[in-house]
Amino acid sequence: MSLNRKTIVVCGGGLDGNFVALSLAKTLGADFRIVQIAGSERRADNVFYGSATSPEGYNFLHALGLDERTLLLKSQTAFSYGSFFRRWASPQPWILCHHAPFPILAGIPLRHFLTRSGAPLEPLLISARAAALGRFAHPPDDPRNPLSRAEYGYQFSPDEWIELLDSLVANSRVERVRADITGIDHQGDTVSAVQVAGRERVSGDIFVDASGPARHCIGALASNYRATRNVAACAERQDVPQLGPPCRVIEAGPSGWTSTTHLQDSILKIRIDAADDNDLPATAIQMALGQLDEAWIGNCIAVGHAAWAIEPLTPAPMMLLQRDIVRLQELVPGSDDMTTERREFNRRFKDDLAHANSFHDALYIPETRPEAVPRRPLSPGTGSEALSRKIAQFKNRGILVSYDLEPFNEEDWTQNHLGMGRLPRQHDRQLDAIPVQQAEHDLARLQNVIDQMVSRMPPHHVYLARFKAYLEKKSHV
Amino acid sequence: MTAGITRICILGGGTAGWMTAAALSRKFKNLGLDLTLIESDQIGTVGVGEATLPHIRFFNQALGIDEPAFMKATEATFKLGIEFCDWGKLGDRYIHPFGDYGLPIDGLDFHQFWLKLRQAEGADRLDAYSYPVLAAERGRFKVPDGNIDQIGSNFGYAYQFDAGLYAGFLRTYSEERGVKRQEGKVADAELDPNSGHIAAVRLEDGSRVEADLFVDCSGFRGLLIEQALETGYDDWSEWLPCNRAVAVPCEANGELVPYTRATARKAGWQWRIPLQHRTGNGHVYWSEFISDDEAAHQLTSTLEGPALAEPKKLFFKTGRRRKFWNRNVVCIGLSAGFLEPLESTSIHLIQEGITTLVELFPKDRIDPLDAEEYNERMGLNFERVRDFLLLHYVATQRDDSAMWRHFRELTVPDSLQEKIDAWLTRGYVLKYEFGVFLPPSWIAVMLGQNLTPAHHDPRVGRYSIEDIRDRLERIRQETARAVDVTPTQAAFLQRYGAASGTSLRAAQP
Repeated sequence: MSLNRKTIVVCGGGLDGNFVALSLAKTLGADFRIVQIAGSERRADNVFYGSATSPEGYNFLHALGLDERTLLLKSQTAFSYGSFFRRWASPQPWILCHHAPFPILAGIPLRHFLTRSGAPLEPLLISARAAALGRFAHPPDDPRNPLSRAEYGYQFSPDEWIELLDSLVANSRVERVRADITGIDHQGDTVSAVQVAGRERVSGDIFVDASGPARHCIGALASNYRATRNVAACAERQDVPQLGPPCRVIEAGPSGWTSTTHLQDSILKIRIDAADDNDLPATAIQMALGQLDEAWIGNCIAVGHAAWAIEPLTPAPMMLLQRDIVRLQELVPGSDDMTTERREFNRRFKDDLAHANSFHDALYIPETRPEAVPRRPLSPGTGSEALSRKIAQFKNRGILVSYDLEPFNEEDWTQNHLGMGRLPRQHDRQLDAIPVQQAEHDLARLQNVIDQMVSRMPPHHVYLARFKAYLEKKSHV
Repeated sequence: MTAGITRICILGGGTAGWMTAAALSRKFKNLGLDLTLIESDQIGTVGVGEATLPHIRFFNQALGIDEPAFMKATEATFKLGIEFCDWGKLGDRYIHPFGDYGLPIDGLDFHQFWLKLRQAEGADRLDAYSYPVLAAERGRFKVPDGNIDQIGSNFGYAYQFDAGLYAGFLRTYSEERGVKRQEGKVADAELDPNSGHIAAVRLEDGSRVEADLFVDCSGFRGLLIEQALETGYDDWSEWLPCNRAVAVPCEANGELVPYTRATARKAGWQWRIPLQHRTGNGHVYWSEFISDDEAAHQLTSTLEGPALAEPKKLFFKTGRRRKFWNRNVVCIGLSAGFLEPLESTSIHLIQEGITTLVELFPKDRIDPLDAEEYNERMGLNFERVRDFLLLHYVATQRDDSAMWRHFRELTVPDSLQEKIDAWLTRGYVLKYEFGVFLPPSWIAVMLGQNLTPAHHDPRVGRYSIEDIRDRLERIRQETARAVDVTPTQAAFLQRYGAASGTSLRAAQP
C-alpha cells in the first residue's frame, strides 16, 4: 500500500453515483478520500434501473444505511415477492418469484415430480401463492416453518431512493462537489482530473464513472460501448388509496411491455418499447441497451449505466449495479499498478452481463406461440451458447445447467423455463422408484401446508401498516 | 438392445467399480435394473488414492453407510489435511487443511487482516488461526459440532483408508442390493453394427454379457472406452510430467496422525498415508530424471517401518479421456484419466463421475445430450484439479534438481497464472463455484510455498493495527483452547467405535 492517501473521484450523482460513493465511504478507511461530483440535473436514465430489487439486495442496502426503517418510513417502498408475467408466452399469468431452494422430496428435486405429474409449480411455492393473493409477512428464522422459504426484495421508486441516498451521502464523509462535469484531463488511459463548471478541476488517483449514458469519464478514454438495441421508456405514477400486492405485473405488448409496481401510496407504471415505435409520447426516455467492451480502462472504472444498460424486465439492473459496486469494493487498487485488478474486474463484469442477458433472452424464447412475447433481437455474443445449452438440457430432462457465480439462481431459472413453456421431455429416473400415488400425495400435502400458511398471512397493506407502526413506536422508545 | 436402459454392466472391480455399483444399486433400487459387475481375481487393482477429500462423507451418507462400521472395516483414520514438505524450499513444511483460517471479520476474509498485521509488524503464522492445522499437528481429532461458524467446528474432514478393503466393503453392500458379480477376464467387445454402441463383452471363458449401458472402470487400459471405442486421450504431460510411481505399505511407527504427508523429492514426490493397521507409501516420479531402481530405493530407504510387501510399479500418463461418455460407455476412475494423487483427488473424481452419472442416468435410450452434459461437467472438474496440482510444482523456489528447474521455467496455463498474479498482488483469490478446491485450499498452498502477497485488501485499512492485533489474538487463543480440549485421534477412534483393534497406537502428544 502506498503511504500516500489516495483520492477516489466518483463522477455522477444518480442512483449509481450515490450508491457507489456511499459504499466506498463505508467500506474503505481514512487512507482513501472519496469525492463525488454530482451534477445539477436529475438523470432521466434512472428509470432503467427498474422498480424492484432481489433478495440479495437486503444486506447490501442495510450495510449502506438503507434499512427497512428508512426504506418504509421515509419512502413509499413496499415488499416484493417477484413479478407476474401476464400474456407473456402463455395465456395464463405466471410468476417469477423469489424463493429459497425449492423443496427436495426423497432426495429428488421438485421439478422432476412436476414433470411426471404435469402439476404446476406455483401452488407449491409459498412466495408465489402469497403474491397471487396479495399477502405478505416476514420470513421467520425457523427453517421448519414453510414461510422461511419466502424470500423477498423491494418495490421502489428510483427517484425516492436517490433522495434517501442523497441524505445519507450528505451525512457521510463523502466530499461532494455540486457541479456539472465539463471535461476530463487525461494522458492516454490515465485520468488525472475532472473539469467542472465554475470550479477548480478535481484531481484524483482513481476515477469511478457513474455518470450514466453520458459516460463523461470513460467516454474520454479508448472505450467502446456496444449498443445492441435502442428502446424508449415512459414512467407514470398514479396515486392509489391502498397498497396493492407484493409483486409487479409485467404485461407484454407488440413491441415492448409494461410493468406495474405497487408502492405504498401509488402505482408506478413503466412502459418499455422499441425506440422506433411510432406510438411513443414525446416524453419517452431513449436508451441504447448494450455494454462497454471493458468497464475498467486505465484508472477509470465505469459502473451502472455508464458501463451497461439492460431492460428492467426483472430485478437484473439493480442486481448488476450491486455487483458492479461489490466488484469494485473487492478490487479497489492498493497500489498504482492496477493491472491485476483491472483484468479481474473486466472478467467478472463480462460474465455478469452475459449471464444476466442470457436470463433475459430466455424470456424472449417461448416454446410455442412466438407471437406471445414482444419482438426483440436476442443478445449477441458470449451468452448465446450457454443459453442454448441451458435450454436444451432443461427441455431434455429438467437438468439445470449452471455456470460459476451467476446472478440468477436455479430457482429463477426453473421458473423462467417452466413459465416460458419449456417442459422437460422426461424426469429423473430415481423418481420411478416412487409410486405415482405416493408422489401425488406428497405434493398435495406440500400444497396444503402452503395454503394453510398463506391463509393466515395478512394482506400486504395491512402487514406493512402494522410493521410501520411498530417501527415508528420503536424509534420513539 | 431391449427397450429402455435396464441392463448395466460395470467393467472392473476396483474402487471405481464397486463405488459405482454401490451407488447405482442404492439410487435405483426397486427399478428392476440388472446390474452386473465383471472382475477377475487374477487382475490386481491399482488401489489408487487411499487418502480422500471431505466430499467422500456425502457419498457414504447417501449410501446410508454407518461411519464407525465403515472405518473399522477399512482400517480408516480421520484426515484433517495434507502436510507438504520441501515443496517451496527444502526444509519447508505446511499443512493444507480442510477448513478455514480464523473467521471472517465484518464479512472480510480473515487472511486479509493477517496480511495487514504481518506487513505492519509481523504476525504469528497463519496456521496458528486454523483449528484443523493445529489439531493435525498434535495428532488430535473430533468430528465438528453443528455450528460451522464457530472455531473448533469450522473445518471438514476426510478419511485415509485401505482402498482394497473399501472396495470389498462396497462389494458386500452392492451384492446385498442385487448387484451380480461375474468372475472373469474380458476377451473382447462386440459393437452393434448400426449404432456403434457396445452390444456385449465376451469373457475369456466364452461367456457373453450384454448390456444397454457399460461403465468402464477397467483402469488405465480403458478396455471399452479406448480399446474398443478409440475415444482418444488428452495428454497433459506438458503440465504434469510425472509418469511413474512405486508403492509399498510398511508397518506403522506408532504415530496415528490425522493427515497425509506429501514430501517433494528431486524428481517427484513421496506420499505417506497412515492407516490403523499400516502405513501406505509411494513415490511418484518423472522417469526422465530418475531410474526406476533409484526411485524405488529412495522410497524403501525412507520407510518408517519394515515393508509389508514388494514394491508395486505403476506407469501412467497424466491427462484425461477425450470423452468421458462415448456412445453407451461411461468411463469412471483411471479409465477416465489420471491426475497424480498429490491432493487426494482420485477417489473424488470417481465420486464426481458417479454423482453426475446418477443425475443423468438414461431411461429410454442413450441420449447424446446426456453425454454432452456429462463430458462438459467432468472436463471442468479435471481441468480445475489439474491447475491446482500444477500450482504445487510452479510455486517453488527450488532449483536443486533438473525437475525443479524445469518447473521454474514452465509457462503455466492462463487460468492458473491469473490466479497466482491476483494472489501475489493483494491476497485475492479468484473464485469459482464449480470445482473441488475452495479459496482456503489455494491460500494454504500459495502461502505455504512462499507466494507472499505484496499488498492486502485496502478495505482492511479501516481497522487500526491495534484493533487487528487484538482481534487476531483472541481468535488465536480461542483456536488453541479448542485444540487443547480435543482428544487424540486414537482416543477418539476408540470412543467413536471406529477402532479396528488391529494395531492402534496413540499419537505422540
